[in-house]
Amino acid sequence: MNIFLRELKANFKSLLIWAFIVLLFAVIGFAKFSAYYGNPELLAILNDMPAALVDAMNLNAFNLTTVVGFYGLMFSYFALILSIAAAMWGSDIISKEERDKTVEFSLTLPVTRARLVTAKSLAALVNCILLLLTAWGAILYGASSYAPESGFNTYVAISMLALFIMELIFLAVGIFLGCAMKQYKRVGSIAVSLLLGTYILSIMAGLDKHLDFLHYFTPFSYFNPSAIFRTSSLDLTYVLLSAGIIAAAMAGAYLSYSRRDLYI
Amino acid sequence: MNIYRHEFKMHLRSDIIWSISQAAMIFLFTWIFSSIAVDAALLTETLSQFPKELLIAFGMENLDLATVLGFFSFAFLFSQILLALQAANYGFGILSVEERELTADFLLAKPISRRRILFSKVLSAFTGLTITNIVVWISSFVFINMFKGDRTYETSTLLKLLLGIVVFQLVFLTLGMFISLLVKRVRNVTPFSMGLAFGMYVLSAFGGMLGDVKLELITPFKHFDPGYIISNQAYPSTLWISVAYIVVSAIGTYVLYQRRDIPAPV
Amino acid sequence: MSIIEVNNLTKYYGKSRGIVDVSFNVEEGEIFGFIGPNGAGKSTTIRLLLSLIYPTSGSAKIFGKDCIEYGPMLRQDIGYLPSEVFYYEGMKVLDLLKYSASFYKKDCSERMYELAEIMELDLKRRIDDLSYGNKKKVGIVQGLLHEPRLLLLDEPTSGLDPLMQRKFFDLVREENEKGATVFFSSHILGEVQRLCSRVAIIKEGSLIETQDIKTLQKDTYKKIRIEAPGLDEKRFLIDGVMNLEKFDGAARFFFKGDINTIMKLISEQVVSDVTIEEPTLEEIFMHYYE
Repeated sequence: MNIFLRELKANFKSLLIWAFIVLLFAVIGFAKFSAYYGNPELLAILNDMPAALVDAMNLNAFNLTTVVGFYGLMFSYFALILSIAAAMWGSDIISKEERDKTVEFSLTLPVTRARLVTAKSLAALVNCILLLLTAWGAILYGASSYAPESGFNTYVAISMLALFIMELIFLAVGIFLGCAMKQYKRVGSIAVSLLLGTYILSIMAGLDKHLDFLHYFTPFSYFNPSAIFRTSSLDLTYVLLSAGIIAAAMAGAYLSYSRRDLYI
Repeated sequence: MNIYRHEFKMHLRSDIIWSISQAAMIFLFTWIFSSIAVDAALLTETLSQFPKELLIAFGMENLDLATVLGFFSFAFLFSQILLALQAANYGFGILSVEERELTADFLLAKPISRRRILFSKVLSAFTGLTITNIVVWISSFVFINMFKGDRTYETSTLLKLLLGIVVFQLVFLTLGMFISLLVKRVRNVTPFSMGLAFGMYVLSAFGGMLGDVKLELITPFKHFDPGYIISNQAYPSTLWISVAYIVVSAIGTYVLYQRRDIPAPV
Repeated sequence: MSIIEVNNLTKYYGKSRGIVDVSFNVEEGEIFGFIGPNGAGKSTTIRLLLSLIYPTSGSAKIFGKDCIEYGPMLRQDIGYLPSEVFYYEGMKVLDLLKYSASFYKKDCSERMYELAEIMELDLKRRIDDLSYGNKKKVGIVQGLLHEPRLLLLDEPTSGLDPLMQRKFFDLVREENEKGATVFFSSHILGEVQRLCSRVAIIKEGSLIETQDIKTLQKDTYKKIRIEAPGLDEKRFLIDGVMNLEKFDGAARFFFKGDINTIMKLISEQVVSDVTIEEPTLEEIFMHYYE
C-alpha cells in the first residue's frame, strides 16, 4: 500500500505536466473550431463525397462543421498523446529502480516482487485514468460552448473507452519491457520505438486496401472514430485482441520480474 | 582526437539502428507508392474540388499523392520525425551523460578544457547524424528510382528537400544540448527528446490544421515542410527561425557549459 | 613556490555553504592531510582545485598558476582519485586505461602496466563486471599512470581490503619519494596519521587548524593507564586530567600538563602496570567531530 502511495506521489508532477498538455490541446482545438462550426460551404462539399472514398482515405473525413466531426479529427491526436504518456509511465516506473539504484532498498523490503509490480502498475494505472478523465472533462467543456449534437456525449464516452484501452495496451507493454529487460537503460527507447513504429504503421496501413492486414499490428488502428460513431460501439475483434495483448504483457511482466537477477 | 573517437564508438550502434530504420521506412513507403499510385490519381482529382480550408485542416493543401514527389513529401514527414527524435536524443544526451553516468569526475578532471570536450562531443554527434543523413539520401534516391515506374520527378526539388536535413538535425541537436544545461538534472533522456521532437511535430500538424500562423513559426517541422518545398520548389521564408534556434542554442550551450558546476556523484 | 596555494576560497551552493574563507598552503614534497567530518567541505575543496566547480569568491593556485585559468594545462601533472569511481559502460579495463593515458602528453604505457600488476588488476575484464573495490583499483591506476607531480586523493581507500590499502599507501609513499606532493582528504584518521606530515582540519566549511602531525600529538594529551590493586581512581582527579574512568580494574585518562604531577601520584601508589602513550589522531580529534 505504501509503495502504491509513494509511486503516486513520485509521479504526480509528471501527471500534471501531461494533464496540462492535454488541456492545452483541447482548449486550442475547440477555440479554433469556431472557424469551422456550421460552415455551409464545407457542408456542401462533404455531402457530395462518396462514403467509400471518405473511408478509404482513413481521414475520418467527418463533417468538420459539426462538433462530432471535429472531435473525430482530434481523436487521433489524443490517442497519440495518451499513448505516449502511458508508455512512458509504464516503462519508467519499473526501470527507475535500477536506474536510480534504489533496487537494494525497494527489492529487499518484506514484499514479494509480484506485489511490487502490482503496486507500481496500479499507481501508473491511476495516472492513466486521471489523464483520461482530464481529457474527457476538457472535451466536454470545450464542446459545451458549441451546443453539440445529440449522441455526442455517448460518442465521446465510447471513444474514451477506446482511448483507455489504448492507454492500457501501451502501459502494459511498457511495464513488460521494464520488467523483462535486463538493460534497463534501453527500456525507454524501446518503448518509444514501439510507439513510433506502430504509429507510422497505422498511417501506412491506411494508405491502401492491400495493406489492411497491417491494421492488426498497430493499436492506433484498432479504434476508428468514424466507425465508432456510426456503430456506437467498439469493434469486438479489436477489443479482444487488445485484451489479449494486455493480458500477455502483464503475465510476461510478472513472470520475468520474479526470475530476473537485479544488479546495481 | 581521443574524445571524439571514444564518443563516436559509444553511439555508433545507435547510429546504425537509426539509419537502418530510416532506410527501411523509406523503402516501405516508396514501395507502397507503386501500388497505390493509380488510386492516388483518382484521389487527387477529388481533392482538387475541395475548398482550401478543408485541405489545410487535413494538412493536405500541398499534397498530390499521385506524383512521385507529392507522395514522397508525405512519407518524408515521418522521416523527419525520426530525424528529429535522433538528433534530440543526442542533444539531450551527450552533455548530460557525464553527470548521469557519473563519469564526470573522470573526464572533466583530465587536462583538457571544457571547450574541447564540448567541441569533440558535438562533432562526434554530428558525425553520427550525418551518417544517418547520408543513408536517407541514398535510400531516397535508390528507392524512389526503383519504384517510380515510368513517372518522372524533379531532381532539384528532391535535392532541396534532402539538403534541408542538415539544418533540421542541427536545430534539434543544439536545442537539446541547450535545454539539457538549463535543467538541473537529466535523469532520463527519453521524455525530454520525445517531448521536443513529438511536441514540434504535433505543433506543426495541429498548427496546420488550425491555420494558426503563430504555431507554424515555432516549429522546425514547418520551416522544412516537405509539402511546401515541393509545391513551391523553395524553402519557406520562416527558415531563418530554425537558424536562429541553432545560433542561440549553440551560444547558450557554450556559455553554460564553460561555467557549469559539476556536482559530485550522489 | 607552494604547490597548492588557497586564498580565502569560498563556495556557496545557492544558500547552503560549501566552504567559507578557506586558506592554506601545501609545499612541495609534503603529504598533506585534509580531515573533517562528513559534509565539512573536503570534496568541495578538491573539486574547486580541479575546476569541476567554480568558487563564489577567493582563489586557488597550483604550481603557482591560477587553477581555473590554467586548468587544463595544470591537470597534465595532477592525478585525481575521487571517492566514488564510475566509468563508461561496456568498456574493458585496458581500454579505459588507454583512453585515460591518451590525454597526457607523455607515454604512460609502461607505468600503466606496472601499476596494474602491483594492484593485481585484470586488464581484460569489463569494468561493469567489477566489484566496487576492484573499480577503485582501476581508479588508482588511472590516477597514477601519468606520474603526476600532485596527487589529489578524495577518500581513496574506501572499499579497498586491508591488503590493498597497504599496497596503495606504499604506492603513494613511493610517488612521494619520487618527488610528488600529495593532498589527501579522509576521515579515517588512522591512515592520515600513518602517511601525512601535516594536517588541516575542516569543519562546517571552515578551516579550524593547520598543524604538523608531530606538534599536534605533542601539544596535546598523553593517554595514561594505571593498573593497581585496590585502586581508587579519584586520586587522579587533578587539574589537567580528562575523561577519567575506571575500566577492568585500571584507571584510564587523558592528561595535559606537567607530567611530573602525574608521576608523583603514580609513585605514591603500588602499581602493577603503567602505560603512558601518545593518543591516536582519532582520540585527539574526536572532540572536533562533536
